[in-house]
Amino acid sequence: MSNSQADHIRRAVAERAGRTFPAKVADWIRDRPEGGIAVMFCIAQILCIAGALMFPGEFRYLLPANIAVTLKSIAPLGIMALGVGILMIAGEYDLSVGAQYSFLAIVCATVSNQLLGDISEEHASAAAPFIAMALVLTIGALIGVFHALITLRFNIPSFITTLGGMLLWKGATLLYHGASALRFKPTEPFRTIFGGEIGVIHASIIWFSLFAIAFYFLLHHHRLGNHFYAVGGNRNAAVAIGIDPARTKIIAFAIAGFMAAFSGVVAATRVGSIQPGGGLGMELQAIAACVIGGLALNGGRGSILGIVLGTALVFTIQDVLLLLRAPAFYFEMFVGSLIVIAVVLNTAIRRSKA
Amino acid sequence: MSEPRHALRHPQKPAHIPVDRPTEGIRPEETPLYEARKIVKRYGSFVALNNMDFHIGRNEVVGLLGDNGAGKSTLVRMISGINPPTSGEVFINGKKTDIRTRAESEASGIETIYQDIALVDSMSITRNIFMGREITGRFGFMDHRKMEEVTIDILGSAVQISGIDDPRKEVGFLSGGQKQAVAIARAVHFKRNILLLDEPTSALSVRETEHLLGYVRDLKKEGTSSVLVTHNLYHAFMVCDRFVVMSHGAKVFEARKEDTTIEEVTDHVIRT
Repeated sequence: MSNSQADHIRRAVAERAGRTFPAKVADWIRDRPEGGIAVMFCIAQILCIAGALMFPGEFRYLLPANIAVTLKSIAPLGIMALGVGILMIAGEYDLSVGAQYSFLAIVCATVSNQLLGDISEEHASAAAPFIAMALVLTIGALIGVFHALITLRFNIPSFITTLGGMLLWKGATLLYHGASALRFKPTEPFRTIFGGEIGVIHASIIWFSLFAIAFYFLLHHHRLGNHFYAVGGNRNAAVAIGIDPARTKIIAFAIAGFMAAFSGVVAATRVGSIQPGGGLGMELQAIAACVIGGLALNGGRGSILGIVLGTALVFTIQDVLLLLRAPAFYFEMFVGSLIVIAVVLNTAIRRSKA
Repeated sequence: MSEPRHALRHPQKPAHIPVDRPTEGIRPEETPLYEARKIVKRYGSFVALNNMDFHIGRNEVVGLLGDNGAGKSTLVRMISGINPPTSGEVFINGKKTDIRTRAESEASGIETIYQDIALVDSMSITRNIFMGREITGRFGFMDHRKMEEVTIDILGSAVQISGIDDPRKEVGFLSGGQKQAVAIARAVHFKRNILLLDEPTSALSVRETEHLLGYVRDLKKEGTSSVLVTHNLYHAFMVCDRFVVMSHGAKVFEARKEDTTIEEVTDHVIRT
């Protein structure tokens, strides 16, 4: 199989494999879309830890309670952002995930409560919350497929389809349940599986990690992941080479819907109740986390590590501002600036390389 | 060549060039690898291919010529299954076959190098080469090591383009010629019976073009027929065995290399 004409390439590859570790890290930062954000994340962590060690009384960053709260708050947005990010890599948007998050959490709680899944019921059912969750995860995926079919059948931008979807599912939440909060205190073992804690580690962060690992393998090592990149990066090329863009995009939409539903249920289990308007704005936060993590707005570029770091960085900033007792609007100002800085940084790194 | 030049120098005396009429062309002598009969392709009211007959024989390089908008790319995209015809019949090895998707043309051993290259800029060279045809293990997970190994091999063998030494490099960072080389390497690696080349030399240097044309000749010896779409009649005359000239979606001239001259073919390409 080998031939001598390829020897110079083999030598170059071997040379690159033999680089020193710092050189490899430097190249990784330069080459990867999440490289810039990884550096920013590390700097932010070093500054925070240094600050916490210098002023342990005032800046309680390293307190277990603070770590626990931060990790807990990362999970719902992170789970949602994984789905949104995969869809963005495949070249489409989903603005309706925030509305789906609330709608499907309420459907889950209602169905579960009706099946005697509430912990205070006399003959409480252990299976009820699982059944309800399976139902809403399916509905979430189907909503994604529904958005995909409209987008692809009529060849309209998914931005529009899911903007309509956002309003539709927001309205459906109020139609189905009204504007009041809904109690969701599921029975065991559901409660422990999705809302338990081991030390500072909440169940939701474990689920986020599991999904991140699963999607890492799907996106970077599975054939389907390669097709997501191909379809998002150059749709015509994907068609020319025999990839079905409709099928690929439908799967990506379904993943986004599924993850929105999962994120809604996990957040509801943690809080114990659901506000019908709770997911509003989360779709933009999820897209923001993805963009900060190096995903291209027009698709074809990005990574799971980027999505995770993007989400983590957003919440690190939120946490720091909370610890400094800054007013809430500072958070939005910071995240807003961060989006622009991250994209400028990524573009600059790419330009210097070309 | 002399007639049109003359006309250009003396526009006040326009030379009379009769417009070509559609022609039946040459009938295949033996069962061809690929044959399309009475192909019509309509986009709404626009007729892109009008009753076109086209065949590719064994061990043959066909030059597909014609001015811009003559329908050459439409025909190539039809053969490769991306734009299925509105009506007409396709025969593979004499057997009637319906090719309406890229997967079906791939199954028939057809590989294409597209004019617009068909690479994804944000993906690595390896991933581009194996896009849609990933080497996978169990459950569809990709075998990165094997794909990279094959990529190194085909980058070295198919079209040697200086400057590519990293199969993991993003295609977006390559030059136009290097991108074309990757597209060519991909098609050459997966080709089986027929290689379609749609304007393959447009981004290549002189040396790279020579190498590619030589490669097309070598492929013929190995039993792979090619269709070369080009504007450059000299390139066509270097490698092709037969010429098909198209105009307004129809065949207007067809001749074997030994029965025609470069002047005659040029003349037919110019008359539209």
